Amino acid sequence: MQTLLGFLNTLLPIAYLMLLGAYVLVFMRDEPREAVWSRRLLGATLALHLGAVVVRTLALERLPLGAPLEFFSLMALSSLLIYALLERRMQVRQTGFVVVGLAFLLQFLASSFVGTSAPPTSGLLEDPGYALHAVLVLLAYTSLSLGFVYALLYLAQARQLSRRNFGLLFRRLPPLETLERMSVGSVQLGVPLLFAALATGHVWMVALSRRVPPEVAARLDHGDPKIIASWIIFVGYTLGLVGHRTLGWRGRRMNVAAIIGFVLMVIAIALVHHFFPSFHNFSIRGGVPAS
Amino acid sequence: MTRSDTAPFDGAPAGDGRANFLVWSVDHQLADTETRERVHMDAAAVHAFLAACGDEPDIVSAVPLCTCNRTEIYIETPAARCVHESLARALSVVDVDFALFEGEHGRHLSGGEAVRHLFRLAAGLESMMLGEPQIGGQIKDAYRLAREVGPLGPVTMRAFQGAFRAGKRVRTETRIGEGAVSVAFAAVELARKFFADLGRNRVLLVGAGETGSLAARHFLQHGIGAMTVVNRSAERAGKLAEELRGGEDAPIRARPWEELTASLAEADVVLSTTGATEPVILPDMVREAVRKRRGNPLFLLDIAVPRDVDPGVADFEGVYLFGLEDLDGIVRANMAARRKELDGADLIIERELGEFQGWLQDMELLPTVAEFRTYLESIGEKQMAYVRKHESEAVAAAVEEGLRTFIKTLLKRPMVQLKSAPSREERFQHLDSLRRLFELGRSGED
Repeated sequence: MQTLLGFLNTLLPIAYLMLLGAYVLVFMRDEPREAVWSRRLLGATLALHLGAVVVRTLALERLPLGAPLEFFSLMALSSLLIYALLERRMQVRQTGFVVVGLAFLLQFLASSFVGTSAPPTSGLLEDPGYALHAVLVLLAYTSLSLGFVYALLYLAQARQLSRRNFGLLFRRLPPLETLERMSVGSVQLGVPLLFAALATGHVWMVALSRRVPPEVAARLDHGDPKIIASWIIFVGYTLGLVGHRTLGWRGRRMNVAAIIGFVLMVIAIALVHHFFPSFHNFSIRGGVPAS
Repeated sequence: MTRSDTAPFDGAPAGDGRANFLVWSVDHQLADTETRERVHMDAAAVHAFLAACGDEPDIVSAVPLCTCNRTEIYIETPAARCVHESLARALSVVDVDFALFEGEHGRHLSGGEAVRHLFRLAAGLESMMLGEPQIGGQIKDAYRLAREVGPLGPVTMRAFQGAFRAGKRVRTETRIGEGAVSVAFAAVELARKFFADLGRNRVLLVGAGETGSLAARHFLQHGIGAMTVVNRSAERAGKLAEELRGGEDAPIRARPWEELTASLAEADVVLSTTGATEPVILPDMVREAVRKRRGNPLFLLDIAVPRDVDPGVADFEGVYLFGLEDLDGIVRANMAARRKELDGADLIIERELGEFQGWLQDMELLPTVAEFRTYLESIGEKQMAYVRKHESEAVAAAVEEGLRTFIKTLLKRPMVQLKSAPSREERFQHLDSLRRLFELGRSGED
């Protein structure tokens, strides 16, 4: 099993690199042959990575989310998954190189430094209920991150147009409207995922509190700073979507707001993580135990 | 200056007793519009010219190609005879002076150079706008018409088929046709950088002049969803809207000049082409439109001289103002990108030309080789008659098989030698030697 884990660990960044190459070609040339190859490679890389996650989960007997580098790998996978959904929905491939490039970097870091043996981890990750919550959180934040990436691309294309820069980026990037729809589409995917993640988290907390000793149950606080911050983020993004749909918030200003919103969200999460005590701690034994 | 390149298919002088392929051309590269008009033939004239060519024994086939940028006449001749007089006679029937093709504005190519020119032409490499696709269709039409009037020679047919293939390959395997190279198309291309599907967008045309009408038609051709025409003269706006509708129930309407600000708010693309001496689209009007649009980008295209749109409107959030010089910039950038594809395109043309020459070589070899084979088989048949008479069936079958193998082997090496001859002239010398040595072409004399 260790050999297989090591093999997959080496194979994954190579697969991501090949996929990146295919999407760079799509960006540069966008010919039917390259589009077909990129689609096939995308499917193959997703299947390979999903397989690798299953193998790692079986080998470690827990969700591989206990260390930052494991998190990077799952973040790469979820980026690719969300991007595949967006590409299928929008039928636009020219932006793939950006997302795949980021995913490759994440997977490269993960594969370079993560070991094949299990790092110290919380027993929470062995709980299936918690695993579902964690996966949903990961997918939700990845979707919101892609919304940020597409807002950046929107501003890049708007800048090309404003500055009369009719070069490669102008020619190959999709229209502003498409980039905005991809940005909004990512958020539209991320918001319900975040809601589902938060809801399953609360349900799981209630279920867990009945199975653990009272002193441990007391630490499962629904008003945990991380949870509160996540609900605020959820409300913020929901308001943004409502404004987009009903008040017609569109264009450059909307995309700038989306970027600022995302940056604030990252800062808020980092601050909460560093300065507020939370039971959301999975990297060491001694957090909330599994049932 | 008359450009007259007479390089034949593979370097030997043209006119050595075999079919030759020639072209006379008057095009935008060497001739001004007036000269091009003097050699232009309309559909009726083309028919008359083709009929006249049919009466000329030295002309195997003729394909005239007439577009606004060129008139070209492709001729196949059976021999090295001079077809100038024949062609001049045929052209005189349609009142075209052949001297114009021979003069400083004309170009005459023959053999391989003529075929190369046709291939390049079909690929859009000889066009005023490099890589433009219409020429391919125009060549096909010319070829079809010539075939309808009379049968074409084999070299002409193969050359045109090769040209169609070369044109298709260049367009699909290079990016020579990518990007707008006309101002009108550049406007559409620019609009497509804002909106994903023009079918969902509305164009506001300010001004009902000829320029605006042309630009509007271009947007309609590219599937714009709806159009509003606003003009100081409501009558002219209504008339243009009706013209643009073309009798169909298209969402094209005219609005009075007083509703220009309201129309701005509803439009996604604004094309302004009035003849006004002062700007007609002012910051206050655009500010109001932007407020109502709630962040949706507004693409303003000012193609009027002097300008119709106050440059200050470009400072508003979500407003993108472009002028003629910007469209020129796009055209220049696209032309530069197309020029970078020229090497790849030329490579394809040379490969296709190589295939054409290979075919031509086979065509030239085949009659003599077939005759030589028949000659050998007839000798073999005589020997077989003797063997069948004096030997058993088994022996006869073995001898027959041996003879067949012998003929095949005997033919193989001369074929290779003929095909790999360094020049067409040398190949014909070999063929002539073969014919002389075995007295081919004198059936029944052996």
